[in-house]
Amino acid sequence: MSAADARVTDVAYSTYDGPRAGRIAAIWSLARWSSLRALGARRGWKAKVIPITLILLGFAPALVVLGLRALFGPTVFKGGLADALPYSNYTATIGIVILVFSVVVTPELVCPDRRDRTLSLYFSTAISRGDYVVGKVLAALMPILLVTLAPPLILYAGNVLFAIHPLAYVERHWADIPRIIGAGLLIGVFYALVGLAISSLTSRRAFAVGGYLAFLAIPTVVGGVLAHALNENYLRLLAFAAVPIQAARGLYPDYSDRGHLSAGLWAATSVEIMVVAIVVLAVRYGRDTG
Amino acid sequence: MSRNGGDEPLVEIEGVSKRYGSIVALDGVTATVRERAVGLLGANGAGKSTLMRVMLGLIRADAGSARVLGIDASRPAWEVRRLLGYMPEHSCLPLGMTARDLVVHMGELRGLPRRVAVLRASEVLFQVGLEEERSRLIRTFSVGMKQRTNLAQAIVHSPGLVILDEPTNGLDPAGREEMLALVRRLSTELGIAVVMSSHVLEDVARTCDSVIVLREGKVAATRAIDHTSAAVRGDVRVRIVGDPDGFARAARQLGLKVHRDGGGEDGWLIVQGGDADGVLTGVRDAACTAGVGLRELRPAGPTLEESLIGAIG
Repeated sequence: MSAADARVTDVAYSTYDGPRAGRIAAIWSLARWSSLRALGARRGWKAKVIPITLILLGFAPALVVLGLRALFGPTVFKGGLADALPYSNYTATIGIVILVFSVVVTPELVCPDRRDRTLSLYFSTAISRGDYVVGKVLAALMPILLVTLAPPLILYAGNVLFAIHPLAYVERHWADIPRIIGAGLLIGVFYALVGLAISSLTSRRAFAVGGYLAFLAIPTVVGGVLAHALNENYLRLLAFAAVPIQAARGLYPDYSDRGHLSAGLWAATSVEIMVVAIVVLAVRYGRDTG
Repeated sequence: MSRNGGDEPLVEIEGVSKRYGSIVALDGVTATVRERAVGLLGANGAGKSTLMRVMLGLIRADAGSARVLGIDASRPAWEVRRLLGYMPEHSCLPLGMTARDLVVHMGELRGLPRRVAVLRASEVLFQVGLEEERSRLIRTFSVGMKQRTNLAQAIVHSPGLVILDEPTNGLDPAGREEMLALVRRLSTELGIAVVMSSHVLEDVARTCDSVIVLREGKVAATRAIDHTSAAVRGDVRVRIVGDPDGFARAARQLGLKVHRDGGGEDGWLIVQGGDADGVLTGVRDAACTAGVGLRELRPAGPTLEESLIGAIG
């Protein structure tokens, strides 16, 4: 093409008469944009450092175990590779990482919308108030699953890969897959709902982080002290940070609890807290008008 | 003319009432919007924003009905909202996003496929004059740039109708001029019907084809805005100190049309001739040439303001 062929073309405004997606696509768009931003996408490096570091820490136990196996061979773990880090213990092992990750991610999803008064803008589109809450729960859940679900799945895949007879391993341990998925989802949904509910109470991210930590830490400490002092094991259920992890462990056959509380009790407590969180979200985001 | 076919009105509001506790925001408002650009005029608290929120289905009216683009605005509201654009009055942009990301995101939320939303975001940001700043964070924008971003997000999905709530609020004179020009372009060049609220009559007169005046939640008056009217053309009535015939001759030599209005020596002269600036310059030059003074100078016809005041009573 010669210079004579070149021409300046105005960027014209064109009308769009093509198909328009509905509410589901709008909810998915809200969830995708929100979760990516919470992870620091399209933001400065400071916004990326903490979430990415925490995700790497979540994967660290699996990568260490599999790395040692890859470097030193099958004899490195006396009880076998699978026993070195049981799936049932994985989320407990990285429990603090999951907690901090959810504290970092969930306020970022809703606090800026209140601070910048963006809600009115969102509600003028195809999404309703209810859709907004669903989208934000999905937005919280997707990154949290990166630390509650993805690492044990990677560990499972590694165990299959390094097994002397991979197919035989899958045959023996197939039931662990739904357990891993169930545990990851339970913990993920719990932290997503609780984090969003607390964050919805304020437009200030710092207050949300502080409130969330206080909600998880204070009852845990108080419950632990009272349980010890009064010798009343049920008070251990106040350990809100441990509630979903203990409930998830109940999905595995090797479940045990030092206070002899049943997995069902932990699960019921988890559900109760999640229901309260849903009620808080419903109240905070008001009546659905559309 | 309407996007939804034929002569169907863009907006039909029938007896809409809305009350917040003891405060009556809207009281039996009935209005039909057929023109491509309609202004909602009223003081703060007159019910403009409430009426817009009813149109968008963001709030339910206590009584009455609203149809927008042929769709009942109250049910299902999301269906009508994805065909509408909305520019809220207050600052509501996510400050941590770039203009491009916001416009793409809002396009997707209003039903555009992602690829289309990306393409159209570039188009509308160009149209509002933000093509160079599209990758900057919104928090670094001036008020005028934020308002233009706000407008871009409202039209990215090619809406049949865009609702603008006080689009010139908070803008400096230059920013206001730019925004008014953009708003006028929406209906005249881009084919998007406009409902714009304002408490400034001049803003409505310059950008709209008709005006609905709200007062205390009721429709106080509706008027078409004739952009070819004497007031808008710039025709004037003058009263001369000195020789009116001399002034008329001088004015005619400058290409203006002059005739008497009211008769008698002290009567008014009507001066016509092209645009407002040309007439005023001609009157000044003719007065100098004829050596006369100007006692009074007024628009030749009743202004929109006078007309509305007369209608409101």
